[in-house]
Amino acid sequence: MQRRYRTITDLKINESARAISFDDSELACKLTSMGLLPGTRIEMIRKSPFGSAYYVKADGVRLALREEEAASILLEV
Amino acid sequence: MTDMSPTLKIALIGNPNSGKSTVFNQMTGLRQRTGNFPGVTVEVKEGLLKFPSGHEATLYDFPGTYSLYPTSSDEKVVASVLTNPADPYFPDALVYVADVTKLEKHLLLFTQLLDLNIPLLFALNMSDSATDLGIKVNASKLSESFGVPVVSISGRTGHNTMRLILDLEKMVNRPPVSGNRTPFYPLTESEKQVSEAIRQNLGIENPYRALLLAHHGPWLHFLKPTEKETVLAIVSTKNFQSLRAQVDETLERYDRFIPISQAAVVSPPAFPNTPTDRIDAVLTHRLGGPLIFFGVMMLIFQAIFDWSVYPMDWIENGFALVSEFLTVQMPEAWYTELLTDGILAGLGGILVFVPQIAILFLLITILEEVGYMARVVFMFDKTMRRFGMNGRSMVSLISGSACAVPAIMSSRTIGNWQERLITVMVTPFISCSARIPVYLVLIGLAVPAIKLGGVLNLQSLVFGAMYVLGVLAAFASGWAMKRWLHRREHSFLAIELPVYRIPHWRNVVLNVWEKVKAFIVGAGKIILIVSIALWGLSRFGPGNAMDQADQTAQTEAQQLSLDTVETEGLVQQRRLEASWAGQAGKFMEPAIRPLGYDWKIGIALLTSFAAREVFTGTLAVLYNMGGSEADINDRSENAAKATLRERMKSEKFGDTGKPVYTLATALSLLVFYALSMQCFSTLAVVRRETGSWKWAALQFTFMSVAAYLGAWAVYVLFS
Repeated sequence: MQRRYRTITDLKINESARAISFDDSELACKLTSMGLLPGTRIEMIRKSPFGSAYYVKADGVRLALREEEAASILLEV
Repeated sequence: MTDMSPTLKIALIGNPNSGKSTVFNQMTGLRQRTGNFPGVTVEVKEGLLKFPSGHEATLYDFPGTYSLYPTSSDEKVVASVLTNPADPYFPDALVYVADVTKLEKHLLLFTQLLDLNIPLLFALNMSDSATDLGIKVNASKLSESFGVPVVSISGRTGHNTMRLILDLEKMVNRPPVSGNRTPFYPLTESEKQVSEAIRQNLGIENPYRALLLAHHGPWLHFLKPTEKETVLAIVSTKNFQSLRAQVDETLERYDRFIPISQAAVVSPPAFPNTPTDRIDAVLTHRLGGPLIFFGVMMLIFQAIFDWSVYPMDWIENGFALVSEFLTVQMPEAWYTELLTDGILAGLGGILVFVPQIAILFLLITILEEVGYMARVVFMFDKTMRRFGMNGRSMVSLISGSACAVPAIMSSRTIGNWQERLITVMVTPFISCSARIPVYLVLIGLAVPAIKLGGVLNLQSLVFGAMYVLGVLAAFASGWAMKRWLHRREHSFLAIELPVYRIPHWRNVVLNVWEKVKAFIVGAGKIILIVSIALWGLSRFGPGNAMDQADQTAQTEAQQLSLDTVETEGLVQQRRLEASWAGQAGKFMEPAIRPLGYDWKIGIALLTSFAAREVFTGTLAVLYNMGGSEADINDRSENAAKATLRERMKSEKFGDTGKPVYTLATALSLLVFYALSMQCFSTLAVVRRETGSWKWAALQFTFMSVAAYLGAWAVYVLFS
């Protein structure tokens, strides 16, 4: 089955896309309060040395996100 | 200070990385202290704010938070205080500090505070960076839109600090506006119903505060049980979906304030490649990042040892001089001994660690202020999570190599309770500065100073191995605790990686002072009390045992025709053997015999319970060194150490006649000291941070068991 959406974890290095929504309300609460909103342009900068964490830029703000956190942010296709 | 504090209370609030603490330091200078919010272990900095008019106010620096919907105990405090006007910290006015270069991200909490209707002043911080970046902000436009005074400041340069203080006084002197202002965020229909019901039942005036009670009812401590029940009943009958509503409210607020900030701020197009990006390309590189981190750690430890040698010598020699002077000047009596061997020795044992602790925290603070620690958290989050912790635990573990007391206190930023608990429980395994003198003496006595392959010094190698052992023990117990606790709770990494900045010296100095104070006050008090108690135990004995010991020693000395110094040493030895501590040592010999220790080592284990380095001094007395402790504690190879080694080597077990002090015993002792929990101060801090003796007792038990088993295994392996 083809997925209808993708998340931050699907972004390649230096690729960017707009966030559309969240699929976990607790994480959504935390991330929106940090300024990561639906509509925010998210750019993948790099992965952490031991994997499972991502260094991203959300509208120019540098954030470190865990795998689950990154996977809860749905992006435009 | 609390009773003397001015009654006017003002709180600084802002997001993490808003530069709030720098502004706080600018406004209060050195007139500040750190306290605790009652009931929770969250720090609040408190300072005296002097207005030019001569009036004064107490200024509080609240923990940084992104919104009034908290995820860590630090953030919860802010929501809890601001929703409870009866709270002793409830401020009469707020100063909201925002990073003007990221104004949009900092407006969420600001507009939430607006709706609480507490007098609010808006401080646009980092105006110097904004100018450098070509960002122009129209402060009067912002002031007009939000209806609050706005001041552009720079915490780093101090620009406009006075203006901020003047405007603040003007604001607090203004008569309060009667009636509620139009809220920035209009409640939705369902929020209105919940808020209205809570307002009526609990007699609350402000609708947004009532709404916050609906969101936070389950954990707010100040609500009476009946009030809590009422709130929970309202939430459930109205079928109020808290999380959903929080997200919707947040998004609605953004929709409302983004046009305002866009109208007031003119920023040039962002440059894609800033210095921070270029630095991070190296420092967080997949391979290079961790390598650089370990390099930095090595340099830090090198610095600790190199820089602390001289101040430590001064402190040791200073105390030795004072102690000698008092012994000569004061009458020969028990109270002189109490002063020199109990109190002064205890104080010296505390202060001698200050240089190492100060240097380590100086370097850690600089790394934190620069912004590097956030990158460490990012790089090692995965690794730490495998062991039940969190990327943020790295800061605690690194600090643990100075002193576990401030290190455990720094775990407060970890939001997830289980991860924080595990961090607290395993941090004392990291070899702290108090273990260093014990390691050095034991290694100096037992490990030959040979070079392996002509390069690697065997002694340094064993010393390094002790650190590795501590780290391994910490991670292994973290792993075990994770499996055992196995609690499912939301855990967050989501951390902002701030722009790299040159640290502000005032922040660095104040932070180092705070950590050193935490060690001196938190650990020192207990070390002092225990060392006085242990002095009593080794100075007094049951019945007339001590007098008998005196006589035996004198007779022996005459038979052997010893000189005065040697006689004095022998008297001390026999007295310690006869004392309560000596009795206890003999009593516990069967228990420690499997580890290769005789009762003399048992005494040393007991006396080193307050401060580990006492171990060497006790052994010196037991093996009749005659000379002062300082000779043996001297870090260089010297005659005293050689003598002690000779004495220890000739020591035999009473029953079997086998030598006590072999390489196996020395290694076994090293492992014991690396793993055991011999620090009452740490236990006290663990109790405070976890809220119960349960965890402290568990920690003491498992560390002792680990130390015993580890020491036993090593003894069996090497003998």
